[in-house]
Amino acid sequence: MKKVVLLLTFGVVSTSCVVVKEYDKVYLNDEEMVLSARGSERFETNFQIYREAAAGANGGKSGGGCGCN
Amino acid sequence: MNKLLFFFVFFICLIGFSQNDNTNSYQTRVLETAEIELLFSYYDQDGRNAAVTGGEGTEELTDATSSIVVKIPLNPNDILTVDAGISAYSSASTSNVDPFDKNGTRASPFSASSGASQSDALVHFNPSYEHSSGDRNSVYSAQAYVSSEYDYFSIGFGGGYTRLFNEKNTSVSASFQIFLDKWIPQYPVELRNGFNDSGIIGNGVYDPLFTPFNDETRNSYSLSLGFSQILGKRIQGSIFMDVVSQQGLLSTPHQRVYFSDANDFFIEDFQLADNVEQLPESRFKIPIGARLNYYLSDLIILRSYYRFYSDDWGITAHTASLEAPLKLSEKFTFYPNYRYYNQTAADYFYRKETAVSSLDFYTSDFDLSAYTAHQYGMGIRYKDIFTSAKVFTFGLKTIDFRFGKYDRSDGLDSLIFSLGTTFVGD
Repeated sequence: MKKVVLLLTFGVVSTSCVVVKEYDKVYLNDEEMVLSARGSERFETNFQIYREAAAGANGGKSGGGCGCN
Repeated sequence: MNKLLFFFVFFICLIGFSQNDNTNSYQTRVLETAEIELLFSYYDQDGRNAAVTGGEGTEELTDATSSIVVKIPLNPNDILTVDAGISAYSSASTSNVDPFDKNGTRASPFSASSGASQSDALVHFNPSYEHSSGDRNSVYSAQAYVSSEYDYFSIGFGGGYTRLFNEKNTSVSASFQIFLDKWIPQYPVELRNGFNDSGIIGNGVYDPLFTPFNDETRNSYSLSLGFSQILGKRIQGSIFMDVVSQQGLLSTPHQRVYFSDANDFFIEDFQLADNVEQLPESRFKIPIGARLNYYLSDLIILRSYYRFYSDDWGITAHTASLEAPLKLSEKFTFYPNYRYYNQTAADYFYRKETAVSSLDFYTSDFDLSAYTAHQYGMGIRYKDIFTSAKVFTFGLKTIDFRFGKYDRSDGLDSLIFSLGTTFVGD
């Protein structure tokens, strides 16, 4: 697992010199390209927090705030 | 933990106040006008492994939730958001906290009772505040959280900082959340003081191991770190990690356990608890997630997500999802999605009648067992940037409807429908 994380981190960092100018971000600025869960997804995330042991790293709760796992 | 928290808050303040706030004489607002988002969901679940009845029993549950999220621009840089909602549910398994009050029906773990815990409502209130710097390269946020239900009360707060650089191609973020929760335990009725029923059947005298929990609080501390990067004109990704520490009552007080080395006692068809689940008073979790979004063409976009999760209860989990929004027209987007989830069992999980009474920790909650889940879904989104449809002075901006079907390898399945609408002020 550590190797995967290191590889992923290296991959992202090595491309961080890429600079896309604001006027070239038409595709990146599309609403579907947002790097977070959709607003309408929150209820699905909520039930998953109750029904599954794993939570977090998804913008929502990762522990506490409910009598769930 | 306190030192870690202090250091983190100090760190955020330090990097936050060291930034220049290059406010131009004219700047666009972070949020042009007030927005109101109305959200509704309906959830229906069934299964045969209810934790309330020790791992065997109906898991029928329905839940209807509605929320309202209001975003108000206070000035060009600041947004106040208020998120409030209510979730009303009806649960067959929690009704069996007290299974003996049915009207003429034999008590059974596979049928619902009409007890007080059959239905409940959870209300939440979650205000947050966000400040962006003049150059829009720094974003500070703070939030609070309060929720209450029949047997649980939670209060929480948090804060965060996001820094964009490299011409807004790169961002790093750090945030924290603290929840100070309290159980109002609803123990299984047969374990409560004064319980006496002449209908108890079994060998010997019913004498459960149970003692009430001393500590009814649950505190959760989480630190989140994120990094996002534009990788090309059509592709961007992010990596994020949470570090979560929980302390206090992590057992659920109404979840029964049946031991293999204890005599069985029944009232009608319902087996009386040998104890409630006993879980450690601390848990340390590390979820690491990543997203990668790719604008394949003007017709289709790919949104992917992966998460690795590990905790010190012995659970390891993998989550992966893929969504492919199809742009049907300028206003309509259809998005099918699939989610895969797999987890190993907690060290303390035992099926019904397999734990022994000499163990320190045990649970028969199948949410902590080993299983695989598949979720299939789809959604359709309508967006009108001109907000031509009006309700009072608010224009309709988006309607988002989604549906999901969830199947777990232990037999639990569920359906969820969600509807979200966004209105913007004139």
